[in-house]
Amino acid sequence: MPKLTYAVALSVAVSSPVMAAEFQWAGKTDPQTMDPHAVSSAPVLGFLNNVYDGLVRMSKDMEVEPSLAESWEPIGAGEGWRFTLRQGVTFHDGATFDADDVLFSYERASDESSDVRSWFSPVTEVKVVDDYTVEFYTNAPNPLFPASIANWMMMDRGWAEANNATRPDKESGNFATLNVNGTGAFKLEDRQPGLSTTLVPNESWWDNAEHNITKATFTPIQNPATAVAALLSGDVDFVEPVPIQDAARLEADPNINVIRGIETRTIMLGFAHEADTLKYGASAGQPNPFQDVRVREAVAKAINVDAILRTIWRGSAEPASQLVTPALSGFSEVNAARPAFDIEGAKALLAEAGYADGFGFGLKCPNDRYPNDEAVCQAITAMLAQVGIQVELDAMPVSNYWPELRADNFDMYLLGWSPGGSLDHEHPLRFLASTPNEEKRLGSWNFGGYSNARLDEALPSILSEIDPDKRQALIDEVTGIYQDEVAYVPLYVQPLVWGTRSNIQLTQRPDNFFMLRWVTVN
Amino acid sequence: MLAFIIRRIGQSILVLLIVGLVAFSMFRFVGDPIDNMLGQERTIEDVERLRTQLGLDQPFPVQYYRFLEGAAQGNFGVSYRQGRPVSEILLERAPATLELAAVSGMLAIVFGIALGVFTAIRRNGATANIIMATSLIGVSLPTFLIGILLIYLFSVELGWLPSFGRGETVQIGESWTTGFLTISGLKALILPSITLGLYQMTLIMRLVRSEMLEVLRQDYIRFARARGLTDRVVNFRHALKNTMVPVVTVIGLQLGAIIAFAIITETVFQWPGVGLLFINAIQFVDIPVMAAYLMLISVMFVGINLIVDILYVFIDPRLRVDRTGAH
Amino acid sequence: MAETSIPLSTKEHDKGRWQRFRESDFFYAFKRSPVAIVSFAVVALLVLAAVFAPLIAPTNPFDPASLNLMNGFTPPMEPNAFTQESFLMGTDDQGRDVFSTILYGMRISLFVGISAVLFAMVLGIVLGLVSGYFGGWTETIIMRIADVQLTFPSILVAMLIFGVAKGFTPVEYRDQMAIWVLILAIGLSDWVQFARVVRGATLVEKSKDYVAAARLIGRSPWAIMIRHILPNAMSPVLVIATISLALAIIAEATLSFLGVGAPPTQPSLGTLIRIGQGFLFSGEWWILFFPACTLLGLALSVNLLGDWLRDALNPRLR
Repeated sequence: MPKLTYAVALSVAVSSPVMAAEFQWAGKTDPQTMDPHAVSSAPVLGFLNNVYDGLVRMSKDMEVEPSLAESWEPIGAGEGWRFTLRQGVTFHDGATFDADDVLFSYERASDESSDVRSWFSPVTEVKVVDDYTVEFYTNAPNPLFPASIANWMMMDRGWAEANNATRPDKESGNFATLNVNGTGAFKLEDRQPGLSTTLVPNESWWDNAEHNITKATFTPIQNPATAVAALLSGDVDFVEPVPIQDAARLEADPNINVIRGIETRTIMLGFAHEADTLKYGASAGQPNPFQDVRVREAVAKAINVDAILRTIWRGSAEPASQLVTPALSGFSEVNAARPAFDIEGAKALLAEAGYADGFGFGLKCPNDRYPNDEAVCQAITAMLAQVGIQVELDAMPVSNYWPELRADNFDMYLLGWSPGGSLDHEHPLRFLASTPNEEKRLGSWNFGGYSNARLDEALPSILSEIDPDKRQALIDEVTGIYQDEVAYVPLYVQPLVWGTRSNIQLTQRPDNFFMLRWVTVN
Repeated sequence: MLAFIIRRIGQSILVLLIVGLVAFSMFRFVGDPIDNMLGQERTIEDVERLRTQLGLDQPFPVQYYRFLEGAAQGNFGVSYRQGRPVSEILLERAPATLELAAVSGMLAIVFGIALGVFTAIRRNGATANIIMATSLIGVSLPTFLIGILLIYLFSVELGWLPSFGRGETVQIGESWTTGFLTISGLKALILPSITLGLYQMTLIMRLVRSEMLEVLRQDYIRFARARGLTDRVVNFRHALKNTMVPVVTVIGLQLGAIIAFAIITETVFQWPGVGLLFINAIQFVDIPVMAAYLMLISVMFVGINLIVDILYVFIDPRLRVDRTGAH
Repeated sequence: MAETSIPLSTKEHDKGRWQRFRESDFFYAFKRSPVAIVSFAVVALLVLAAVFAPLIAPTNPFDPASLNLMNGFTPPMEPNAFTQESFLMGTDDQGRDVFSTILYGMRISLFVGISAVLFAMVLGIVLGLVSGYFGGWTETIIMRIADVQLTFPSILVAMLIFGVAKGFTPVEYRDQMAIWVLILAIGLSDWVQFARVVRGATLVEKSKDYVAAARLIGRSPWAIMIRHILPNAMSPVLVIATISLALAIIAEATLSFLGVGAPPTQPSLGTLIRIGQGFLFSGEWWILFFPACTLLGLALSVNLLGDWLRDALNPRLR
C-alpha cells in the first residue's frame, strides 16, 4: 500500500461555518525529541504541550489554570502544595490517568538524566494521598511552585514501563523519543525527525476542543526566506517566526495576517565584571575599564536603543529596562525607566573615568541564536565608536558561542533571557544576577561574574515570601541595585511575529508556544 | 593487473582513513554539542556528566578509533540531536538526495550534450553564441542566490511551483520513499534540480562543444563528409560518439560534486536529504551524523575514482592513470 | 588601423615587447572579438573601481564611527525620512551606503579571489612539475593527495579549514583571520586542476630531446622544469587561472551563505548578497540587487574572458 507521508494544505471553500480542516505549519526548529522530560527547550516543550498535559497549564494570557489538576492549595503554612486531580482522564492508549502517574512523572522528570529536574529542586517529597490527590513538599514556602511546573507533562507509568522508557535518554534515545502517549488534545500520528510531524485530534480529550482541525502537519524550515515564500505561496498555513523585515510585506498581502506580540525574552549586554584586563581589541592586556561603573553606564547611555528598534526592528520591539518584561510577574514598575540615549553624557562619564580618548575591546555575539542578533551587535559597534570606544565584533554560531562564554573569552557579550519555568523576575535574578555558586546552583549563566552581597542576601527571601507586596518590595530593591551598578545593559524585549493565511484564526501566547487547540481554519 | 587493482584499493582505504582523521580533528572546533543538548537550567555537573557519557572528554584519536571500530561493524553511533541510530537516519534521508541528484544529473547530461552539440555545429551562429554567453550566467551567480531567485519568481510571484520540500512521497518497499509517483512530488523536484544541475549542465555543454570541435576537425570526419554522408550521420554517429569518453569521465566525477553541492540546494529548498541533515548536524554539533556523512561522501568519491581508474586500465592498458576535469 | 596591415614581422627581435604584443595573433584576435573587448573593459573598470575605492566611495563603510543607524533602509536616490540624506544605491540595514559598501566589498572579493588563485596556481604548478618530472613515489604521493583533495568537495574543505583555523588562531587575530582562511580554503580546493595540467605537460615534454640535452649539459632539474617545461604548460594554466578566478569569487559568496565568510563589519560581495537575500521579500530590493549585479558583472566578464582566452590560445580552433 502506498503510504502518503506528506499532505498538501487544503484550501477548499466550503459553505458550512465550522468546517473541519487540515492544517500545515512551519517553524524554524524541529523539536528534537518527543520526550517531555529529556530536553528543556522552547521548541520541544512548546510542541509537546499539544500532545501532553501538565497538572496546570497557561491560559491564553499566561495565567495559571487547571489542567490535569482540578484544584490546588498550599499545605499548612507553606510546607508545600496539594493537588486534586481530574477524574476520568485517559491517555491516548486508553489507560487511566491517576496519582501514580503523577508520582511516576515526578520520578522521571526529577531523575539525573532529566533536563527539567531543576524545576523540582525545591521539592523534598511527593506523597500520593489517594488515587486523585498528590502532595508536594518543598524545602521552603514556594508560592510560585504551581506556575513553575506548567510545562511538566504527565506520562503513563504502564506505557513507559512496557516500552522501556522509564527514564529519559538523551544520549541514545528510547521509545519515548519518537512516540507519544499523553493526555493532550492531539495524538501523534507520524513522526519523521527533521522532516515532518503529523498530529491528529484526540477524540477522547477531557476538555472541550475549540479547534476544528482534522490533521496538522509541522515542517521545520530553517531558511527564513524559504519559510516566508512558503507562506506567501500558500504551501503552509502558518509560519513562526516571521523575519521582522518581511512583516510589512506580508501584512500588505490580503491572503495573509501578521500577528505581533511581545515575547518573554529580554536581550541585554553583559560585561566581564571579574576580569582584570581586557582580552580583545586595541586595548587587549590593559586594565579592564568595565570594572568601573561609570564606563558601564557610559555604554548604556551611548546605545541608541530607539534607533535599533526603529530600523532593525522596524518599530515592533519594546525597549527593556530590566531583566524581565513588563508582562511577567515581579516586573519592577518603580524601575521601569531605562537610561536615556545621551552621547555627551556618555563621553563625560568616560572622561571622568579616565577614558577620554576611549579604548578598544572585543564584543562577542551569536549570529544564529536570536533574531537579528548580529545586526544589533553591528549597530552597537557603530554607536560605541561614536563615543570613542572601538569595538572588535566577533559574531559566531551559537554552538561556538556558549563554550566561548563559559571559557571567559569575552570583554562584553550579548545575551537573551527568557525566564522559563516560573516566568517571574526571580528566574533571571537566580541565573544572571546572583554571584555564581555551583553548590547552590546560582548564577550559572552569570558569565561575567557580577556580584552584589545585598542582592545575594535578598534572593532567598524573594523565593519564599508569600506576601506579594513584601515580595515585590524586595524585588524592587534588588532591581534598583543591579540597575544602579549597570550589571547588565538591558536593550529590548524581543517581539513575536507570526504569519498566517488569512483564513486561520489562532492565539499567540507571549511565551511563543503555539497551541494547536486554539486554531480555527475558516 | 590484479596487483594494480589491489594496490589501488589499498590506497583508497588509506585515503578514507586520512579523511576521517582530518574530519575528526576538526569536530571539536565546530563547537560544543553539550549546550545544545541541555536546557538553560543545566548545571556545570550536568554538563560534565553528559560530556563523559558521550566520550567527548577523550582525546580525539581515541574518539576516532571508537568511531572506526563502530563503523567497521556498520554502527555509526547515535545522533545527538535525534537520539536515533545514524545509519537509520541516513537511510531515511538518502532517497531524497539521490532522487534530486539523479534528476539534476539527467537534466545536466541531456541539456548539456544537446546544447553542446548544437553550439559546436553552429559554431559561429548567433543563437549558439547567445547560448554560450547566457550559459555563463548560471555559473556567475552563487547557487543559493539562483535558488532563492527561482523561488521568488516561480513560487511567490507566479505561484506555479512549491517553494520547499519534496511534496507528497510514496513509500516503496522498506526503506525507499519516492517523489516520482505523485504530481506534487514531481513539481517539487523542478526548481531544486534546476538549481543544482545548472552548473554541471554548463560544464558538460562546454566540454561537449570543445571535444566536438576537436573531433570535427579530424581527417576521418572530413573523409566521412567527402563520402557524402549526411551531416546528421556525421555529427551524431561519428563525431558525438567519439567525444563521449572524456564526457563520460567528467560526468562520473561530477556525480559526486552534485551530491556535495546538494548541501546548499537542500538548505535553500528545505529539501529533506542528507545535505540538509549535514547542515543541521553542523549547527547542532551532532558529531556522529557529521562523521558518518563525511565518511559516506568520501567512500562515494573514492569509489568513483577507483572505478574510473580501473575502467581506464581495462579500456586501454597503455593509458597512464591520468584524467582531467573535476574540481 | 595601420598596424594590422603590417604582416607579422620577420624581424621580431628588433621590436619592443609592447609592439610585438600589439602585432601578435593574440592581440589581433582580441581586437576582432567584441565580447572580449567588452568583458575586458568591464573587468578593468571594476578592478579599478575596487582599487581606488577610497577615492571614489562617498563614505567609508568599514569605519563604524561614520555610520548612522537612522539612515538604515533608505531607498536609492530618495532622501531618508529622518536624516534627509540621500544615497545613489540606497542604504542597508546598518545605514551603510550600498554603493560604497559594494566598492569596498569588491576589494575584499577580488583580493580573496586573486590571492586564492595565485596560491592554487603556485602550489599546483610546483606539485605538477615535481610529480611529472620525478615520477615514482613522489608522484604517487602527490596524486593521492590530489585524490583526497577531490574527495572532499571544495565547500566542505573550506568549512573544515575554517573550523580548524578558528581553533588555532590566537583570539586577537580572528578578525583578520577570516580573509586568509578563505584564501587558503579556496586555494587548497583548487590546486589540483593546475597540478594535473602541468603534470600532463611535463610528462609530454620530459621525453623530448631538448630536455634530454639540457640534462646532459648538466642543467639542474629545477632550471629545466622552470625554463623549458613550464612555458609549454602556461597557456592552459592561464585559462584555468581565469576560470578559477570567477569560481573563487563565487565560492567566496557561497561560503558566506554557509556562514563561513568575511565578517559582516567588513563585508565582501558575497557577504553583502547573503545579507541582502534576507530583504528580498520585504521590498528593500536594492540591498540585494546592486551587489548581486556587481558580482554577476564581475564573474560573467571574467568567465567570458576565460572562454575567449581558451579559444585564442588554442591555435587549432582558430
